[in-house]
Amino acid sequence: MSKSAEKSRKKEVKQSLIPIYIMGKKHEVPDSLTIQKALEYAGYQLVRGCGCRGGICGACGTVYRFPNSYRIEVGLSCQTVVEPNMYIAQLPFFPGNKATYDLDTLTATGSTLAALYPEMYKCIGCGTCTRSCPMDIDVMEYISRAIRGDIAGTAEASFDCVMCGLCAARCPAELVQYNIAILARRLYARHIAPPAKHLAAAVQNTRKGVFEEGVKKLKKMGTEELKKVYTGRITEPDIADEFWEPEDMTYLVSEKTR
Amino acid sequence: MNIHYYPGCTLKEKTTNLDDSTREAMAVLGYELVEPANWTCCGAEYPLSEQKISGLTAPARILRQVHSEGGGQVVTTCAFCFNVLKRTNVDIKRNPLKNKQINAFLKDDIKIDPNTKTKTTGFPPYNGEVDVLHLLEFLRDEVGFHTIRAGLKRDLSGLKVAPYYGCRMLRPGGGIGIDSPDSPVIFEEFLESLGCRVVDFPFKQECCGSYLAVSRPAAATEASYQVLRSAIINGADAIALSCPLCYYNLDRRQDRIKDAHAGFSGFPVFFFTQLLAWALGVAEDVLGLDQHYYNPKSVLHNQPKTEVAQ
Repeated sequence: MSKSAEKSRKKEVKQSLIPIYIMGKKHEVPDSLTIQKALEYAGYQLVRGCGCRGGICGACGTVYRFPNSYRIEVGLSCQTVVEPNMYIAQLPFFPGNKATYDLDTLTATGSTLAALYPEMYKCIGCGTCTRSCPMDIDVMEYISRAIRGDIAGTAEASFDCVMCGLCAARCPAELVQYNIAILARRLYARHIAPPAKHLAAAVQNTRKGVFEEGVKKLKKMGTEELKKVYTGRITEPDIADEFWEPEDMTYLVSEKTR
Repeated sequence: MNIHYYPGCTLKEKTTNLDDSTREAMAVLGYELVEPANWTCCGAEYPLSEQKISGLTAPARILRQVHSEGGGQVVTTCAFCFNVLKRTNVDIKRNPLKNKQINAFLKDDIKIDPNTKTKTTGFPPYNGEVDVLHLLEFLRDEVGFHTIRAGLKRDLSGLKVAPYYGCRMLRPGGGIGIDSPDSPVIFEEFLESLGCRVVDFPFKQECCGSYLAVSRPAAATEASYQVLRSAIINGADAIALSCPLCYYNLDRRQDRIKDAHAGFSGFPVFFFTQLLAWALGVAEDVLGLDQHYYNPKSVLHNQPKTEVAQ
């Protein structure tokens, strides 16, 4: 980059700086940054409270407020763009009650949830959890379903949860909603959802050694050849129906023919 | 015709027989029961302290939802749900301070559509527009007991039934209960409309033991036994009730009552909706009678054919 271009870029950045308050301290940061990048821009090194940077892992739950507003706002810091005068605090970790269990010995009933998380019934239906969810999940709704023993409903309604912990941090009844939800999803997967037949067939194929020959071939390849095979592989088209299958089914279990 | 119906949590897993029999019976009478969207637990217990309003936000939100769905009334069968919803509604209507506190809190609710993730905020205040009715009231005032009588398909004239009110349908007074807290008749009139012979008994408004089943089980067992014993010695063939917790204590805990009282050998307990559905000709297998500890099926089939002088 030429010196003048560098200069103009800096100028541009400077023009769009906005004030934010990180744990009460004022910083000027570019307005296009996410909260996470703004923290780093301001000099913080993120050791905890930072994971995938893609809005999936749930490590970067963040609370913030604007001056003259009583509302607590929430977001994942890697997904939320800074706004002027945000007062920001990240939640690197929040302790949560987590039951230990052997999934195989449990039944997919409300009684199981009740036995492992009896505090669930302290829910007073205030709705603060729903207001605190950066994934826009109606948390209170899935807790209501859990309370009435609807395992499948809880699993479905909580599916988008990234377990950031903001709901648990704000709950007046001290529930750890996301741990109740993941138990429901595990119970659903283990005991309610029909087993995936093609998965069992694929495991059997692995045991039978269907992949041995192919792996051996790959192991012998050099880097360039591997790259070629990798980039030339067949992938599912962007628009494909659920019955799409590649032509070469050597290593796959067909939904159609099984 | 659709009616707004709040089932409550217990009816969704522990007492599906109450939910199923209610729906089946009401379908025969021409009503479909519609649940409010995204309903939560009502709280089950009205706050014991007058100052505590945190327990009122959930029932108020349920009522607001019914109102927003165009409901002028909401019907419940669970006596606990009825009690909490009704008292909250009365609070909102009569107590301006509580009204203000509840609405100020609920105004900031966020409702999220699970499919589109669209958020709804800024909810209008709820001012008690919905009437909270117990199903017995709805049957008396909207359906009419005479309509039930006219639609009977099965004979219950040989069955002597003791109506058990328990606490939550009647108390406290002051416009909360479905009838006079001291000398109620609505349950008796309902059973008469089914063609049953009604048995009065002094324990019909006594406590079944309620939540003592958890904290002091032996005390609950004794309280339940006294209710059952009173019905038995007054000549009843069965008890009819409306409350899932009364059902739990009076039926599902009969094994413990047997252990405590050698002379007790079990006694049939019905939800009033099971008797209603049966009398209206609903198929027996959808009433959930086999969920009971004491399967009450036999007394429906073995009623005395003729009146027996007492």
